[in-house]
Amino acid sequence: MTAAFSLARDSLQAHQPSARLMRMRRQGYQRLLLLKSQFNIHYFWERKWFFIALLVGFVIIRLPTPEGLSADAQTVLAMSVVATILFVTEPVPLPTVPLLIIVGQVVLLKLNPDQVAQSLMSDSVLFIMGSLMLAVAIVKQRLDRRIAWFLVQLTGTNLYWISFGITLVCGLLAAFVGEHTVAAMMLPVGATLITLTSTEPKKIPNVAAVILFSIAYGCSIASIATPSGGARNAIMINYWQQFFFNPIDPSTYRFLVDYVTWIVYAFPMFLIRLPILTLLLLWTFKPETTDLSRAVARLRAQVEMQGPVKPSDWLTLALFGLTILAWIFYSSSLGLGTVAIGGALLFLVTGLVRWEDINAGVNWGVVLLYAAAVSLGVEMKASGAAEWVANSMLSLLASFGAEKGVGLWAAVSLLTIAVSNTMTAGAAIAVFGPVVLNAAQMAGDDPLTIGFIAAISSGLGYATAAAQPAFTIIYASGYLRARDFFKIGWKMMFVSFFLLLFLAGFYWPLISGR
Amino acid sequence: MISRLKRTTLSNRQERALEKTLQNLRVQRRNRFRVLACINEEEASYITVRFAARLAPGNECDIIVLFVRPIDQELWSGGLQVRLARQSMLEAGLELPGVKHLKTALDVLKEEGIDVTDWPQEAAHEDAWGDPAGDNKVVYTNPEGRSVVLKLKTAPDVANGILDQYELGPYNLMILGESSSWRGERLSLFSKGVVQRVTMLSPCSVLVARNSLERQGFFICTDGTSRSMQAVRRAAVLAHTIGEPITLFSAAPTTAAQPAAEENVENAKALLKALGIAIAESRVAVGNPAERIIELGSDYKIIVVTDEGRSWWQRMWRGSIAYEVARKARTSVLDVR
Repeated sequence: MTAAFSLARDSLQAHQPSARLMRMRRQGYQRLLLLKSQFNIHYFWERKWFFIALLVGFVIIRLPTPEGLSADAQTVLAMSVVATILFVTEPVPLPTVPLLIIVGQVVLLKLNPDQVAQSLMSDSVLFIMGSLMLAVAIVKQRLDRRIAWFLVQLTGTNLYWISFGITLVCGLLAAFVGEHTVAAMMLPVGATLITLTSTEPKKIPNVAAVILFSIAYGCSIASIATPSGGARNAIMINYWQQFFFNPIDPSTYRFLVDYVTWIVYAFPMFLIRLPILTLLLLWTFKPETTDLSRAVARLRAQVEMQGPVKPSDWLTLALFGLTILAWIFYSSSLGLGTVAIGGALLFLVTGLVRWEDINAGVNWGVVLLYAAAVSLGVEMKASGAAEWVANSMLSLLASFGAEKGVGLWAAVSLLTIAVSNTMTAGAAIAVFGPVVLNAAQMAGDDPLTIGFIAAISSGLGYATAAAQPAFTIIYASGYLRARDFFKIGWKMMFVSFFLLLFLAGFYWPLISGR
Repeated sequence: MISRLKRTTLSNRQERALEKTLQNLRVQRRNRFRVLACINEEEASYITVRFAARLAPGNECDIIVLFVRPIDQELWSGGLQVRLARQSMLEAGLELPGVKHLKTALDVLKEEGIDVTDWPQEAAHEDAWGDPAGDNKVVYTNPEGRSVVLKLKTAPDVANGILDQYELGPYNLMILGESSSWRGERLSLFSKGVVQRVTMLSPCSVLVARNSLERQGFFICTDGTSRSMQAVRRAAVLAHTIGEPITLFSAAPTTAAQPAAEENVENAKALLKALGIAIAESRVAVGNPAERIIELGSDYKIIVVTDEGRSWWQRMWRGSIAYEVARKARTSVLDVR
C-alpha cells in the first residue's frame, strides 16, 4: 500500500507561537524581548558580570587598607577595577559605566558634586566631541570617489601601488581627522573597487582583503601620528599637562605637548610602517589578480558622471584645511578641543551638514565615557591610587628585571596592547595612563617616553575585528571574515612593537635632548 | 523610550489590523511545509540551503533563506555610528553584507534543482532598529504556489533574529549550520553560541546540519514514550516522502533493559507499517544511549532524536540525550519537537 502524505499535516509540525507572545506582539515583539530581559530570572545571568564587578569592587573596598594606600585611594582603585571589568565584559551598555563612575565619585568618595561635574569636562573631552562632529560632517560630503580617482591617477592600475596609495592617503587623512572618519568615508570606495574588479567578489577574496585592509590599516596606523588622530592621544596630552606641568618651573614646560611636538615624536611610526604594511598585506593575502584596470576605468566613468567639482566640495576642503592649520598653529593657545568644535561650527554655519545628521551619526555615549574615564584617571592620581599601583607594578616587574629602561618600556607596551585588544583604546589609556606615568616617574624614566609608548601601544591591538574603530567599520562591509583580522594582525603587532621600542631607544632621545 | 523600541511607527489601531492580517496569513501558512534555512558569511553554512532543498521537495513546501545582520556594536567604532558607514555604502549603490550571501544561496538552490529565475518575484522592505537597511525580503513564487524567500534581517543579535523570524513564520523546520561553540549545560550558563541558543529556544523542530549530504538514510531513535513515537511517525513521513531509507533504533542502558528496547523498535515498526512506510533496518544496542546513537548513527545522513522538552534546570541534573547527540554527532541531527 502506498500512502499519500502531506508533509505539512503528517510530518514535522509548525507550532503556533504562544498566545501570550501573540498578545505582546501587538505592541512589538522586540519590546517583549526587552521586558523579558528585565523581568526574567535570566536577566541576572545575562548581566552576571555586572554583579560580579560590583562584588569585586565591594570586596576591594572592604579589604584591610594596605600600607601606603589611603582609604580614598582604595575606593578609587575599586572603582577602576569595576570600570575595567565592565569595559571588557560589557554586561551593560558601555555609557552606563561613566554614569556609575560619576555616582561613585559623589557617593563613595564624598566629593563635591560641582567638583565632579567640573572634572567631567576638559579640552580633551571637547576635542573628542568636536572631532566626532567633524567626522560626520566630512563623511556626509561624499568626497570618497574624487579622492579615489585622484589616488589612482598617481598610482596607476596595479594592485600593489593602489594598495600602497590607499594606505598612504587614508593614513594622511586619518592622522588629522580620526581613523573612524576616514574608514567610514573610504569604505564605499574600497567596496566599489572590489565589485568593479569582479562581478563575483567571492572569487577574489584576497584582492578584497588587500584593498579593505589597506583602508583599515592606513587609518589605524596613522591614528597615533597626530594628537587629532584619536581620543587616546588627546587624553595623554591632558594627563601630561595635569600631572607634570608646573607654571613656575620652566623645566616642566616640555610636558605641554603641542600638535607639532606630537607629530615629531609619533609621525615616523606611521611613515616607517607604510611600506611594511603593503608588503605584509601582499604576502599574507596573495591576490588573485593585480590588474585593476577594469575597475579604474569604471571608477573614472563614475567620477565623470558626478560632474565637475562643486563649490560645496571646495568649501569642504577649505574648512578641513583651515581646521588642520588651526590645530598645527593655534592648538597650544586655543586648545585642541576648541579648534575641533570650531571646525564643526563652521560646517554647521555654512550648511554643509545638518544638526540632525550630526546627532544621528555621533555616538554620544562615547563622549560621556571618555569624560568620566578621564575624571576617574585624574582622581586616581590625586588620591595616590595610581602611585600605589605603579609601585606594586614596578616591584613585580623587578622580579623579571624589567623595572626600568627597555624592560619597563616593553612591559608597558605589551600590557597596553593586551588591554586594548579587549577594551576600547581611549578607555584603556584613560584608566591606565595615570598608572604608567607614575611608574615612569618612580623608575626615574621620562614620563613623555612612557606616555608615548602607552598611547601608541593602545593603537597596536590588531588581533580582532573589534580592536580598532576602523576595523569595526570595515568589518561592517561584510567582505572580510573575522579570522582575516588575526591573520594579518599578529604580524603587524609584532613589527609595530619592535619598531616602537627602536624609536623609543634611538630616535626620541635625539629629539628630546635627554 | 518605549516608542524607540517599537519595530514600526504604526498606530495601535493600524498595528491591530496588521496583526489580524498576519494571523490569517499564519493560518494559511500552517497548511504548507515551511523550512527556514539560516546562513551566515561562512561558505560551509550553505549546507543548510542544500538540506532545505532536499527535505522540502514538492510544491506544498516553501523554503525561506535567512541571513541575520546584527545592528551597531556598541562603542567599538570609536563613537562614529557604524550605520553611517552603511548609509554611505547604500548611497554608493553597494550591496549590504548578507545580500551577496543570499544571492549565493539562490545559486545553491539552482544546483539542487530549484531554479527561481523565471518565477515572479516581489520585494518588501521594513524599517527596523533605526538601521538604514532595515529588514528586506524577496519572495519568488511559482504558478503552483511554491515560494522561495530570501530574507535579510536586522536584529540585536543573530539568535534573537532567527527566533524573531519564527514568530513571523511559523515554520515546520529550522535548519542551522554546525556550531563551533556548543558548550555543556553548566558551561552554557556563561555563554552560548547561536546554534545552541536557537536550538534551546526554538518552538519547532531543528536540524543541525553537518556535511552528510552524500550519506544515505534516516537513523530514527526511539525510547518508546508516546512523545518519541509521535516523533518517529513524523520523521518517518518526511524520510518516506523524500525517498530516504529508514533505520529504527533503540538503546538499552543495561542488558536487562534490552527486551524493552527491542519492544520499542517493534512498536515503532508496527506503527510505520500501519502507515504503509517501509523500514530498511532496525537495530538495538546496549550502552549509554547518547554514545551508542552517535557511534552507530554517524554513518547515516540524518540522526533523528526526540526532544525531551526539558528545561535548562532539568537538563543540568538529568541531562538530555537529544542535546548531547545534536552537540557531539558527526552527522546531521534532527531534533524533533
